[in-house]
Amino acid sequence: MAKTYDYLFKLLLIGDSAVGKTCILFRFSEDAFNSTFISTIGIDFKIRTIELDEKKIKLQIWDTAGQERFRTITTAYYRGAMGIMLVYDITNEKSFDNIRTWIRNIEEHASKDVEKMMLGNKCDLQDRRQVSKDRGEQLAIEHGIKFMETSAKASINVEEAFFTLARDIKAKMDRKIDSTGPSKSAGYQLSGKDGSSSKKSFWKSCTLL
Amino acid sequence: MMAEATPNPSENDDNPWKKLSVPVQDADTLRQEAVEAHHDHLITEIETSEGPLATTLRAVYDGQDIEYFMEKLGGRIKSHDHEIERMCNYHYQGFIDSIRELQQVSGDATKLKVEIEGLNREIQTSCEPLLSKGDQLVKCQKVQKNVTQAIESLSLCLPVLEMYGKLQEQMKSKRYYPALKTLEQLEHTYLPRVINHWFSQTMAEAIPRLRERIKEASMTELKDFLESIRKHSAKIGEVAMRHAAEQNNMDPKIAEKRMKKRRAPPPPNPFTGEVELPTPTSDGDENEEELSAQDLIDFSPVYRCLHIYTVLGDKEKFESYYRAQRWKQARLSLQPPPNMHESLDLFKRYFHDIIGFFVVEDHILHTTQGLVTRSHMDELWEKAVEKLSATLRSTSARLVSNGTAEGKHFQDMQSSFAESSDEQLDTDEDSEDSDEEPSIKQSCKMANLMLEVKKLIVLFCHTLKGYGFSVGRLLELLLEMRDRYSVILSEQWVQVFNDIFAEDNYTPIMCETPEDYLIVTSQFPYKDKELERSEYPRQIPFSQFVPSVYVQVKEYINACLKFSADLHLSHTEIDDMIRKSANQLLMKTLGGCLSNLIKKPKLSLLQLIQISINMNYLEKSCEYLEEYISSITGAQKDSVHIARLHGSSMFKDARSDAEQHIYEQLNLKIDEFLDLASYDWNIMESKGQASSYLMDLIAFLQSTFMSFTNLPGKVAKTACMSACQHIAVRLKALLEDNEIRQISMGALQQFNLDVMQCEQFAASEPVPDSNDGTLQMAFSDLRQILDLFINWDWSVYLADYGKQQSRYLRVPRTTAVNMLEKLNNADKKKNNLFTSLKKNERDKKKLIETVLKQLKVLENGAS
Repeated sequence: MAKTYDYLFKLLLIGDSAVGKTCILFRFSEDAFNSTFISTIGIDFKIRTIELDEKKIKLQIWDTAGQERFRTITTAYYRGAMGIMLVYDITNEKSFDNIRTWIRNIEEHASKDVEKMMLGNKCDLQDRRQVSKDRGEQLAIEHGIKFMETSAKASINVEEAFFTLARDIKAKMDRKIDSTGPSKSAGYQLSGKDGSSSKKSFWKSCTLL
Repeated sequence: MMAEATPNPSENDDNPWKKLSVPVQDADTLRQEAVEAHHDHLITEIETSEGPLATTLRAVYDGQDIEYFMEKLGGRIKSHDHEIERMCNYHYQGFIDSIRELQQVSGDATKLKVEIEGLNREIQTSCEPLLSKGDQLVKCQKVQKNVTQAIESLSLCLPVLEMYGKLQEQMKSKRYYPALKTLEQLEHTYLPRVINHWFSQTMAEAIPRLRERIKEASMTELKDFLESIRKHSAKIGEVAMRHAAEQNNMDPKIAEKRMKKRRAPPPPNPFTGEVELPTPTSDGDENEEELSAQDLIDFSPVYRCLHIYTVLGDKEKFESYYRAQRWKQARLSLQPPPNMHESLDLFKRYFHDIIGFFVVEDHILHTTQGLVTRSHMDELWEKAVEKLSATLRSTSARLVSNGTAEGKHFQDMQSSFAESSDEQLDTDEDSEDSDEEPSIKQSCKMANLMLEVKKLIVLFCHTLKGYGFSVGRLLELLLEMRDRYSVILSEQWVQVFNDIFAEDNYTPIMCETPEDYLIVTSQFPYKDKELERSEYPRQIPFSQFVPSVYVQVKEYINACLKFSADLHLSHTEIDDMIRKSANQLLMKTLGGCLSNLIKKPKLSLLQLIQISINMNYLEKSCEYLEEYISSITGAQKDSVHIARLHGSSMFKDARSDAEQHIYEQLNLKIDEFLDLASYDWNIMESKGQASSYLMDLIAFLQSTFMSFTNLPGKVAKTACMSACQHIAVRLKALLEDNEIRQISMGALQQFNLDVMQCEQFAASEPVPDSNDGTLQMAFSDLRQILDLFINWDWSVYLADYGKQQSRYLRVPRTTAVNMLEKLNNADKKKNNLFTSLKKNERDKKKLIETVLKQLKVLENGAS
């Protein structure tokens, strides 16, 4: 079984209903956009392989339903997530206000060292904007997370956002490996064998097999 | 003499008669007396006899007594002498008197003669002037007679000259027909009367030349007329068509009546109405209405020309010329403009032109005698219909191909349609951004154009039917065009459906208010008693796509119906046709669209599920569609001939298609997870928990089945089963993968953990009513393999091999060999690392070899 990637990162998209989570994911995974609003039922995911520092990284991005009724289902996915995108809609004040609630949810359900990022989506709709970019920045700084305004429709910053998050996760992981050596707990690092050999040797053994 | 004779007899008579009466006394005396009597007798005889006296004298001589007789005779002569003497004495005086008187008369006569001569002279002188007057009179009378004769002659000649003058006048004022009549009269009535006059000769010679001139002139007029009629026939056609439209819209009865009227218009007298155009409008009541077609054109040149040629005996020639010319014109009219399919206006002009032609021809037919015959008309019409049909056929074919092609004449179309369909333009603005729009619009325009053309043809038929032409073939053509129309419509609806699919949110409709609910239920026949009782917001199980599709199918049916309007089809025919078209739409168009939709790889599970649910409701709606069709076509609902709609089966197919895709979609998701699988087949010990990818997979499946609460139970069960089977197949493939040469026991343990996770999931009733153990069955192959290897239960396997009740029935020998070799390989490698063989390791190796040997034996036994 040939491995087609070096890392697998699980990312989670959360935010109010209709802020554009599915569209952001659709833009990132298919580079396409669909203007009809189809609300997500439960949970869905897409996988895209990107390359960072010559490493193939598989991003399994979980797209959650924003609707309240799926909350129990979706929160179950927080724990396994290595990065979480908090998405709000810049044309919808409420969705921005709710970011705090979402952050609280993360604190409650996600692992402590999860990488977070905040996205203000629909930035192409300037004339309907309700939340200024500065307020977004302000909130992000408050919580010590990165922030970007995106537009799935106009394909603005979507790629950048995921790459940033992936890079941050990778950096954190590399730091961990550096500090603790090849760690058993890095279950998400696909080199996760029993630790007796380095990643390199693992690849060797793979080819041997 | 007389005077002498008369006294003689009387004397003689006296004597005898006296002697006879004296009585005789004696014989002597008696004899005396006899002799005397005899003598008397003789004397009397001598006296009275006028002829010769010979006999008497003999008698006298023969007798006796001649002396006596002589005495007696002498006595007698004496007595006569005496008498003569007395007589002369008596008449002598009178004789003298007479002489005297005669002498007097002679004198008077002389006198009278002189007098008369005088008178005569007098008269002679007085008569002389009278005589000269008489001569004068005679002369005068002669003059008078001459004058009368001259007058007579002149009065004969004058009308001739007048006629001739009139003729010249008429020629000058181009009134050729009266001129011709004048000529006729002149030739046959007037000129013979004055044949003796020299000028009649000249005139007679001029007549044929005049005729020729008239002929030429009237022909020129006819040519002008033909030219003008060609120019005006479009206008005539337009007017005629407009009238036909009015008539047909207003009231068919009126139209019929008018048609009949028109069919047999009173033939105008060609000899009275030839100069002024015989206008049927003058009748009064049909004034404005009928002030139409024919009245736009002055037909007099034709009549004139016809009359002239008829009179001149050249009618045949004229007829053939006229017909030939008109046929040429007809051919010109029938030649469609090259780009007719691009604009309704061109269609209109084309039809107007043709109608104009036939209206004119019809008028000519009815107002002339024999210039155009019914049979000739029919022949013309026949040819025209042929040409027309061919033209329309090819044009409508081009319409269809144009409709599908990219709209390159889009702009032209738009302008030409600006008048005919305002609603079209309304949609223009909001659909500019899409690439596909032009072709949809194009197709839509084409459908509309087709519809307009159809209306035109119908009207065309009505109009010409009104003129007594048979339009059956054109109506047939319309039926043909109807098929093309539905093709265009179908193309249009492909887009409509695709738009609906693209715009739908694939989420059950939520009705917040009764109004919302009412909107949906008014669009789509849906009733749910439980839902009716529930509180708002109410959730309708299907998505917006269901009512939208339903409405659009109805729209399509209406659009189809539009085409069959005015075709004079029976309800059943229309019903059949609509049903056919609706079936076409449902089966081919909608079916195709749905199938394409379902095939879309980017379709999410959610969408597929909603589609499969939607199909159920659309399937149920088919009967309402049937009802709807019956209601609009007016056909008997329970008619035996009714063609059923095949929609239900199509929706069923689409639903199972969608369901199939749900399973496949789920499998694809599973594949994505399994692609993340990364087993370390050499791992010494398992991690004590299932692999993370598998945990995620199971979690995903669980939440998916939990989330899609609207998924029909059966579909959910099938989906779950298919998912389990797919996982099992994929997992088994991992184990049996020939790329993997070695599997450690630890790896097998890890794999076992994963399979157990799956089994747990299968047993957890992930979907309702799935706890009958069938789901776990999906993993039984894997379970038996894992059990065999983990329990190291080879004796049982080998002992029960091939038996029905074997615990490891599902582990084929090849798999067992394969797996065993992989395990062996892993052991060998490990052993190589540790060089020294422990005892139990050696035993194990031995056992493996034995088992492999046994399996080979089984193989041989089997073979």
